Amino acid sequence: MEVRLERLSKSFGANAVLKALDLTFPERKFITLLGPSGCGKTTLLRLISGLERASSGSIHFGSERVDHLAPADRNIAMVFQSYALYPTMDVAANIGYGLKVRGVPTSERVDKVGAVAKVLEIAHLLARKPRALSGGQRQRVALGRAMVRKPDIFLMDEPLSNLDAKLRATMRGELKRFHLDLQTTSIYVTHDQLEAMTMSDLVAVMNEGVVQQFATPEEVYDRPVNLFVAGFIGSPPMNFCDVIVTEQAGRAALVLAGRSFPLPDHFNLSRLEEGRRLVLGIRPQDVVLAERDDPHAIPGSVWMVELIGSERLVEVEVAPKVRVCAEVKAEVRAVLDSPAAVAFNPAKIHLFDPKTGLALPRSDGPL
Amino acid sequence: MNLRGLLGRFVLYSLLVIVTTIVCFPLIWALSTSLKPKSEIFAWPPTLWPNEWTLENYSALFAGKQAYFQGGSASAGAVPPSAFFLDWFMNSVIVAVGTTAISTIVSTLAAYSLTRFRFPGQRVVPYLALVGYMVPSIIFVFPMFLVMADLSLTDTLLSLVLGYVCITLPFCMWLMWAFFRGVPVEIEEAALVDGASRLRVFVEIVLPTAWPGIVAAAIFTLIVSWNDYLFGRVFMNSMENLPLTVGVMHFFDGTHVDWGLMMASSVLMTVPMAVLFALLQRHLVAGFGAGAVKG
Repeated sequence: MEVRLERLSKSFGANAVLKALDLTFPERKFITLLGPSGCGKTTLLRLISGLERASSGSIHFGSERVDHLAPADRNIAMVFQSYALYPTMDVAANIGYGLKVRGVPTSERVDKVGAVAKVLEIAHLLARKPRALSGGQRQRVALGRAMVRKPDIFLMDEPLSNLDAKLRATMRGELKRFHLDLQTTSIYVTHDQLEAMTMSDLVAVMNEGVVQQFATPEEVYDRPVNLFVAGFIGSPPMNFCDVIVTEQAGRAALVLAGRSFPLPDHFNLSRLEEGRRLVLGIRPQDVVLAERDDPHAIPGSVWMVELIGSERLVEVEVAPKVRVCAEVKAEVRAVLDSPAAVAFNPAKIHLFDPKTGLALPRSDGPL
Repeated sequence: MNLRGLLGRFVLYSLLVIVTTIVCFPLIWALSTSLKPKSEIFAWPPTLWPNEWTLENYSALFAGKQAYFQGGSASAGAVPPSAFFLDWFMNSVIVAVGTTAISTIVSTLAAYSLTRFRFPGQRVVPYLALVGYMVPSIIFVFPMFLVMADLSLTDTLLSLVLGYVCITLPFCMWLMWAFFRGVPVEIEEAALVDGASRLRVFVEIVLPTAWPGIVAAAIFTLIVSWNDYLFGRVFMNSMENLPLTVGVMHFFDGTHVDWGLMMASSVLMTVPMAVLFALLQRHLVAGFGAGAVKG
């Protein structure tokens, strides 16, 4: 079912948490609300669930306006960060509670609970109480409770954040698989960009109560619309450096730390903009360590070296307090404080207006 | 097990035996005395195990008023105190059960609203309640007596119930408040999303989760209202309206003490509480919602 938000706002006292959101979540998609803590993503999820009332605006499921309905009347299911299992009920009763409340006869309930438990591989745990389960098992029970009712919309509030890293990776895959099988519109809240990138059809990157960008994971990664999205998505984070537009051999060029290099082809800046200040963004993966005599390389010295497994992060200081991080193969050796130079993959350069924070329009269009 | 472990156990169990003996001795002594004939109660050397067993003390307590009126010559004023034992016992039961019902229900609802709804003073109320409980009840008893007198409630069981509710409710509310704070609000939200109404959530999700807390509050109230002497002494005056604690003092009439009746009453007073404890103790420690939320 499609979820549509119109001018949706929510304030707690004087604190505006969501500011006039207009968004449409297409049906059957896996949508992630991604943002730092306090950005309003959980509040948005709670508004959609009905646990919280909007200050203004409306919420529509398909053609029906639902923001006046109680959670019980929205046919949604929610998985909570803390799992929120009923401590006094066993696993079967936990999963079947929604059915019981809706008056589903016992025999039918037992069948449905059994079927879901089988899918989730928790059939052997049905008689246990939540306290006798491991974190991963509780997670599955919470999922089962949501799945058994065949809801129109699945809401998930950081459901993997309490699991250890290994289990999280497994559950990520399973959640995605369940979504593909069930084809229910799913709205997933997380602050973990890896979860957002790997699981979602669409990502809504949020900050300070505003959706910054709502697009596919590829687009959010490769075409960030502003400095916030560019800096929030990607690990290690994108490098940002101040550059100045100049002219070089009749073409627009960028000057960074005294070195100029041609403006990438995907930007059209007229020569009239000479002298304009911009913010250049480049991901560490698109930075290489170059020879110091390379004319397009920017020289500096190695400031920090970190090994992160198969890669090594090398931070090069190209000007006082201006450092560029390059992600290189672990075999590449770099010695602290030794001379080095960095070069950028021109096709991967992002430019932003420092005043508005917005990305400069590109000539190569959307992905 | 090595020698050191054995020795440790021996010391531990010895200590346990000593402590248990000290704690239980008065009870055992009361039980023993209640089963002795009057002649043996003051015998020297005293006997812990009666030489002669008798239930005469108990039968005197259970005989009721009828037995004494049968002769036809006894006037009401001559009725011995033991004739009122069953009245006192029932009074204590009624007061204790009434107080427990009111205190538990009201404190549960109040504490729930204190943890779940937002209103001014929400944070202060539980602490104020606790401060109220810390004031000794003797400070409250006389002002309360005056209020009861104004309401024409003195010498009624209702006055005792109200008095005990006043002293037990604040602590019960604080106890339940602390308990409800530990019940994660998410499980209620989960039930709301599952389709349950607010009332249903409270009855089916919240109450079972809070059950150990409710039992604790109920036991506390029962003990206070069952054991209290002060309120019963001040509020009540007719023989037939007294609670047990005050009533049994009539076995001590200034010149002599009827230890047999006193001890038999004490045993009978202790039995209901002991049985209740044995039954409910399991619930007190029954697995509370640990594990339902997070790891």
